[in-house]
Amino acid sequence: MGKTIVIQPVTRIEGHAKITIQLDDTGNVNLARVNVIELRGFERFCMGRPVEDMPRITPRICGVCPWSHHLAAAKACDAVFGVTPPPAGAKLRELCNSIAYMEEHILHFYFLAGADFLLGPDADYSVRNVIGVLGAAPEVARRVVRVRHMCAKMLEIIAGKAIHPQAAVPGGFSKPLAKDERDQLRKMADEALELAKFSIAFAKESVFPKYLDVVKSLGVITSGFIGTVKDNGALNLYDGKLRLMASDGSFDDFPYDRYTEFIGEHIEPWSYLKFPYAKKRGGFSLEDDAPGLYRANTLARINVCDFIDTPLEQAELEEFRRNFGRPAQLTLLYHWARLIELLYNAENAIRLLDDPDITSLETRVKVTPRAARGVGCTEAPRGTLIHDYETDADGMLTNMNLIVGTTHNNAPINLSVTQAAKSLIHDGKYDQGVLNTVEMAIRAYDPCLSCATHRLDGKMSVKLDIFDAQGSLLDSLAN
Amino acid sequence: MPTIEEDAVPDFCSKPVLILGIGNVFFGDDGFGCALVEYLETHFDVPGGVCLQDAGTGVRKLLFTLCLSQVRPRRLLIVDAVDFGREPGEWFEIDPAEIPVVKLDDFSMHQLPTSNMLRELQQQTGVEVRVLACQTGPLPAEVCPGLSEPVRRAVPEAARWVAREYFDASRDRKGAEGRNTLVNF
Repeated sequence: MGKTIVIQPVTRIEGHAKITIQLDDTGNVNLARVNVIELRGFERFCMGRPVEDMPRITPRICGVCPWSHHLAAAKACDAVFGVTPPPAGAKLRELCNSIAYMEEHILHFYFLAGADFLLGPDADYSVRNVIGVLGAAPEVARRVVRVRHMCAKMLEIIAGKAIHPQAAVPGGFSKPLAKDERDQLRKMADEALELAKFSIAFAKESVFPKYLDVVKSLGVITSGFIGTVKDNGALNLYDGKLRLMASDGSFDDFPYDRYTEFIGEHIEPWSYLKFPYAKKRGGFSLEDDAPGLYRANTLARINVCDFIDTPLEQAELEEFRRNFGRPAQLTLLYHWARLIELLYNAENAIRLLDDPDITSLETRVKVTPRAARGVGCTEAPRGTLIHDYETDADGMLTNMNLIVGTTHNNAPINLSVTQAAKSLIHDGKYDQGVLNTVEMAIRAYDPCLSCATHRLDGKMSVKLDIFDAQGSLLDSLAN
Repeated sequence: MPTIEEDAVPDFCSKPVLILGIGNVFFGDDGFGCALVEYLETHFDVPGGVCLQDAGTGVRKLLFTLCLSQVRPRRLLIVDAVDFGREPGEWFEIDPAEIPVVKLDDFSMHQLPTSNMLRELQQQTGVEVRVLACQTGPLPAEVCPGLSEPVRRAVPEAARWVAREYFDASRDRKGAEGRNTLVNF
């Protein structure tokens, strides 16, 4: 008798998600589906509003990465108005992006995925959580918390507030950075860089070696990748051209306002989330190594760039490629790539703070409404983020399309979970460790749903239902 | 002269009183907490020892940091919308420690991880945690900002309660402003 296992996080801030694993009559995995409920009706709500409101409204979409939406919206507004921000405006935006990245990547590595790696996927729920991480490595945790404090403080200094930012405006940045503020930030950035250096060394020495077998086997799929690079091929997380790489390493580069020529959006009846695919490589297919399949997020960006123009990260990139090739395909390498990006953002923040332009008083240019289309794109921590706006002559929105980072990874997450489930569930037998490991495959992508699956008291907000082939509930488990 | 250590602590950790309005303004009455914070900012003189923030849907990041921080406020008030089956617009206080475990699943549409962190803060760090909640009407399935009339009417009433409980108390203890809870983990 075939049966279905449903792993369902019960509730979360930014939506709901559930994992359904369908077994065949022999008790082996037939398929797995990860279903995310996204924000519905947002585009319709925005129609007819002044386009300059978008940098203020869109950070409300996601409480996890508001800065990415804020900056993508501001860039789309620049394009709609046909303006280029002055150097200080663009650099202050990029600085905020790097600081927000550091805060996110630290949180994810140490306190979300960290619980899996520092304590192990089979560890009891009572310790496999944030408090468990603190207990396992208190001195590390102390440093981590301090730098997270500093990241929040740095954003407060530059932009007034870290949540629901409003500092980036069409045409640039609303508030110049004072020189004494720059000096204060510079000291904090130094400390963040030290933590970033420590983190990657710590992970390479004490974390990844212990789990190399898991890294080599869990959730492994073959796909292409998408990310942003500068014209010279260097990694960039704020601005540049998009690079869509196939699994054989060949790639197409294109300006992000031409994304519709290269990226298609497929719809499946069982998912609220669209499935983007590489249009020029073939149609959509939810199969491993399908020609149109690609991934976004940290591993993708590290794969698509030719080099990193900061020395510490370039050395890390070279070591990474010596070990895993280009493009690297192992899903859990997202964590390793995330640490390379942490280091990049810390060094990039210092580079920007040392740039004399950063304290210029000329941070914005005036804008005038017009009928136009404008596309803004940044690399959000969870993947390439595209905001596409059209306005009428009064600057009111008439059309809008958003592709967020987690959406790019919709098909890959489904495939990785299927792969993980197939390798770990046999003859209908499974235990809690297996289910934790399936969740690890998802968490590697750092989708928006990942944060809420770790509760601070050590329990996972997960419900598991088992149905028979007729849809009758056979068993219901919760932790 | 503050040290770099003190400089590095964000306001939501360093001020003695933290008031967070949380919710999603895109979904009708779920925006109650955010609306209340806006009302307090525009109708009251917020004391210097109070950090008042519209945390929207980003509250977990703040609570994560608070749970792990060595420097925390002495008092934390969460203002949120809930569905407890009462009359829409009815507002009341909830003790996080008294939320039965079986109720965690349906405490609210977005509260589960937040409520657990609140319990951690209350039980393990010594921070006084209170939750002011407002019963919502039916929430829209798609984006539809704006409070219903009963919940909108509750905003000024609840704001006056917050001001009385937190702003007045903060002014009464002016000498204590700037001090906060230092906890070693």
